[in-house]
Amino acid sequence: MATVTEKLEGMDVWLYHGQIYIPNTFSAGAVGSRFLIELRDKKRIMGMRCPTCNRVYVPARSICKDCFKQLDEWVELSDKGTVLTYATDYETKSIQPTGAPIVYGIIQLDGADTGFVHMLGEVDPEHLRVGMRVQAVLQKEREGSILDIKYFKPLA
Amino acid sequence: MANRVAIVGIGQTYHTSKRDDVSQPEMVAEAVRSALADAQLSIKDIESVFTGNMETFEGIFLPDHGMAAEIGALGKPGFKVNTGGTTGGSVVAEGLYMVSSGLYDLVMVIGFEKQDCGDTTAAITAAAVPVWAKGAATGAIGEFAKQALSYMETTGGTEEHAAMVRVKADKGACRNPYAHLRLGLKSIDEVLQSPYLVWPLRLLDFCPQSCGACALILASEKKAKKIHKKPVWLVDVEVVHQEPFRAGVFGDPTGKETYTQHVACEKIYKRNSITDVRKQVDMAEIYEPSNWEELNLYEHLHFCKKGESWKLIEKGITEIEGEFPVNPSGGVISTNPIGATPVIRVAEAALQIRGDAGEHQVTRDIKTAIATALGGPNWTVMFLLKRSL
Amino acid sequence: MAKESAKKKAEGPEYIRIKYNAHRPYDWSTGKYLGKVYAEAKENKKLVGNRCPQCKDIWLPPTPVCPKCKIDMGWDWVELPQTGTLYQYTYLVYPLWDPHYGEKWANPFPSAVILLDNGVFYRHWLEETDKEKLKAGMRLEAVWKEDYDERGQGVQDILYFRTIE
Repeated sequence: MATVTEKLEGMDVWLYHGQIYIPNTFSAGAVGSRFLIELRDKKRIMGMRCPTCNRVYVPARSICKDCFKQLDEWVELSDKGTVLTYATDYETKSIQPTGAPIVYGIIQLDGADTGFVHMLGEVDPEHLRVGMRVQAVLQKEREGSILDIKYFKPLA
Repeated sequence: MANRVAIVGIGQTYHTSKRDDVSQPEMVAEAVRSALADAQLSIKDIESVFTGNMETFEGIFLPDHGMAAEIGALGKPGFKVNTGGTTGGSVVAEGLYMVSSGLYDLVMVIGFEKQDCGDTTAAITAAAVPVWAKGAATGAIGEFAKQALSYMETTGGTEEHAAMVRVKADKGACRNPYAHLRLGLKSIDEVLQSPYLVWPLRLLDFCPQSCGACALILASEKKAKKIHKKPVWLVDVEVVHQEPFRAGVFGDPTGKETYTQHVACEKIYKRNSITDVRKQVDMAEIYEPSNWEELNLYEHLHFCKKGESWKLIEKGITEIEGEFPVNPSGGVISTNPIGATPVIRVAEAALQIRGDAGEHQVTRDIKTAIATALGGPNWTVMFLLKRSL
Repeated sequence: MAKESAKKKAEGPEYIRIKYNAHRPYDWSTGKYLGKVYAEAKENKKLVGNRCPQCKDIWLPPTPVCPKCKIDMGWDWVELPQTGTLYQYTYLVYPLWDPHYGEKWANPFPSAVILLDNGVFYRHWLEETDKEKLKAGMRLEAVWKEDYDERGQGVQDILYFRTIE
């Protein structure tokens, strides 16, 4: 795409319309990869327990933020949880995974001590409430991404 | 400086072009743990943590925000700096200022870069003022290419001399288990036969893109002597900036532009009564993204007279066993995790002073060393390190 | 955000890498100093710089404050000569990623630092692509885009510098 420069009407100033494209890669690392692979291949949401403070992190992470311990105690978590908070976005942006409206939720999975950020689906925004019980809905075709979870839907 | 400051912990990761096995925070954590182990300290002892990284290079904005746990910064003061190629120098200077001022007794400074996550040249090009970007669209490589040509045309130095610098670096890197490129170069012919990137700069004339991190623990005088039996004193620092685009050319041989290296080293030499660098300082770890730049830096940092740097490499003076070793670690041309690179310069100089550099330890006794950082519009951060005060 | 999952299954364990291109649009204002350079290039095919009232140095890109004297530059503009000598040059051999266009890119034209005849350094492209014919010190002149409507892109209104003599 070409860049364009134009003179601003009535001013001695020119405006350059540009864009930056930089190819990037995010590496999940060993712990992050195992989390994504378990989700992709075994449909399991995995967390990590700190042996010192007993806190369970999800998604799994390699270090305890309080104890500075290297973690390796994997725990399988329930695909059900409780909505801690949520927000609805009504504007579609290119950075978002799907079109608007998107309901973002922070969900505490059963057995986890941390909030898990994802989307809420199959729900009328008007019926949302904090404390609602939800369950993960997985994609049929999974590719090793956090979006292998399609969204969390309310438990009937 | 107000209070004296010493390096009491040194840690670095190994370096390579790809680290799929760790995320960026996990990679940085390796250097942090290694520095803590070296100092025999717990993370709880560290009062403040400062980081340095070129975030656009890796596609993650505010990377320091996502690694407070991994670097042991949770609930502690500290912030990230980004000053281009000098980032690692700036973060060491930052820690040094903090301890020297008396604000903290024990801080950690960390430089890191995970370059398998982005395109560095694209990011550097994108850093240029857009309306002039066409002229800078070769990133850093084009700048060093122009400078290589100027060097040849004005000094009598040849491609062979630059190749000798490359072979010297590789000899050091092969002895350094942390180095990235360990090529085992047999002769200068291998350098001279490598393909051009940006004429006249060849593939082997330029630094690689590395993943890695380096952490240092800095302590005040009263703590330093209790923590480590061989503290290395950071006795002086100088940070010099200049106008970005107007510098135009790295190492402009007309002398029209200010060389930040001149400003930095002249101030440091004067304050420390250094009149003959090669006699009064024992070795240097300098920031040389290209072998040609190393030749230029010999002159800019007054290791020799103007136009004579090729004679230093010809006579083997800067070799590891030479009279004034430069970059026995293999230098930047062997290992370049950008944000970490200048931290590694300081770390390697300190290891040489401690006598802990391992296989690439310089044979003669190192009491005093220089470490430098270079980057962006040819900015300079320069340190003087000593074994005793 | 274009997103794709990259799986790598070599001998060892599998590691997940997510590839994406960060595409960020932006608008960048020249401000009135650089705006003057744009206007002179478009209207008059002239290259201008501004002059410090104290040290008399001429700056291109222009500057509101003299970097040396640290004083207000005022509004003293000087037309720069469009001829000069080749000072430094290089050209791309290996195609690099150009973030402004989002593609691998190898410009055929050598990139040069040109010493204009009044002593100001200026960077641009050269028309001559034969490396053997390039030599520091050779004489050059600016070649402008002739079409008025095509101009308005600042210094890119100069296509390249052509060898003279």
